[in-house]
Amino acid sequence: METIAQLGKFGMFTLAVCWRLVVGPHNLADLTRFIWTIVTRCIAPVVAVIFPFGMVVALQGLTIFALFGAERLLASLVSVTVIRELSPVLSAVLVAAQGGSSVAAELGAMRIKEELDATEVMAVDGLAYHVAPRALAIVIACPLLHLVGCVAGVGGAFFTAVVLKGERAGIFWAELFFLTEFSDIWGGFIKSLVFGAIIGLVSCYLGYTTTGGAAGVGLAVNRTVVWTVTIFIVTNYFLTSALFGGLG
Amino acid sequence: MSWLGSIGRFGLFCLAFFRASAGRAPPLGATIEQAYRVGVQSLPVLMLISTFVGTNLSIQGYNAFQPIGGQGLVGMFVALAGVRELAPIISASIIAAKAGTEMASQIAVMRVRDQIDALEVMAVSPHWFLITPRLLGIVIVMPALTMLSTFVMVAASYAAAVWQLDLNGATFLEFLLLASAPMDLVISLCKALCFGALICMISCFNGFFSEGGAEGVGAATNRAVVMSAVLCVILNYFISEAVYG
Repeated sequence: METIAQLGKFGMFTLAVCWRLVVGPHNLADLTRFIWTIVTRCIAPVVAVIFPFGMVVALQGLTIFALFGAERLLASLVSVTVIRELSPVLSAVLVAAQGGSSVAAELGAMRIKEELDATEVMAVDGLAYHVAPRALAIVIACPLLHLVGCVAGVGGAFFTAVVLKGERAGIFWAELFFLTEFSDIWGGFIKSLVFGAIIGLVSCYLGYTTTGGAAGVGLAVNRTVVWTVTIFIVTNYFLTSALFGGLG
Repeated sequence: MSWLGSIGRFGLFCLAFFRASAGRAPPLGATIEQAYRVGVQSLPVLMLISTFVGTNLSIQGYNAFQPIGGQGLVGMFVALAGVRELAPIISASIIAAKAGTEMASQIAVMRVRDQIDALEVMAVSPHWFLITPRLLGIVIVMPALTMLSTFVMVAASYAAAVWQLDLNGATFLEFLLLASAPMDLVISLCKALCFGALICMISCFNGFFSEGGAEGVGAATNRAVVMSAVLCVILNYFISEAVYG
């Protein structure tokens, strides 16, 4: 019963935040500041994770293709896997771990210190003022970081294949988009947007509803990471099936 | 330059931990409790995520290899990408997100409430009392979790390949077995051990040196999961390069 009540509260919270996003008051300066904070905070982890992942994809991809003497297909495989799958999912994991959890920690700390209550006492709408710009900032930051992730992943694969394993650079770049279609690119961006929405709403909800002192803040951060990652990995399967066919 | 300072502090932290714990029996009850917390409580989330990563692996492999006419290669893709790389990395990230953040926030709360200082005043080494059981617990369960995750991932990708994509199950398994060897499992167990130890030390380190009340607890928890995920992925590349490169 507790879970169902939580789901209902989360739904009400989502509606309330979306409503604030539509009717305002819009605070563009805050929004850009939050987007800037999240992008600058997450960009280093995103590159630091996706670059080595691209290197591993190239390493294992070369093992497959060497069996058939088709090493020239490596770049095409890399760009498809990175653009469709790796970059949206991994950049979202890191936005959840870094951006989402820091938003939950911020809002949680504000709740614990009764700053949120104080804003309400001053007749300032806390949801519109504190929550909505943070949630929207994550939704916007996610595709931006996905773009960075694509570059980093392909760069990592290039580094392994060309610099370390001595494949030909010209072939790598020429074959890069051989299997990639335009739908792959916007499919990746749609995924990234949906993941961003999940991260933004869940992290704001868990931060906003924190209870129980400093331990409560830690718990909110912990829950944010676990819940967002679980929800969007499950969502990812359905999105992949819907966007990239695969139904027989 | 502050990150350089934290590397140094991390080294000193590990050194202090080894000094405090070497040649001393671990607190057995706490170790078992930590193993339970990490292992059993992370299991449902890990299984759920492994399932969906596995199904996605099949769909993406199928889509990647379909244009060049190699649908049979899906099995090989699952073996190389799933068994060798994704299963250890996914289990590590989930453990970092679930158990690692829990460790970091618990220890950070103890720091905020001066409980760590209280331990020192009572002449109990906090390194031994708090970190040894967590390290042993995670090292005990991490390989088991990775094995289960590998199994669930392969089963899910088999299910997706056969029922969703209408591939031939026998071909799938044949290519899967062709591309994988028992050695791969041993290596992924070794990876799991390294990742587990790394996650535990990083999370405890961040919790141990947190400062600044409730915000500090949040920030420490946040840093713990990001640092352990990044370091695990980088470490994974070096292990893979050394073994398969």
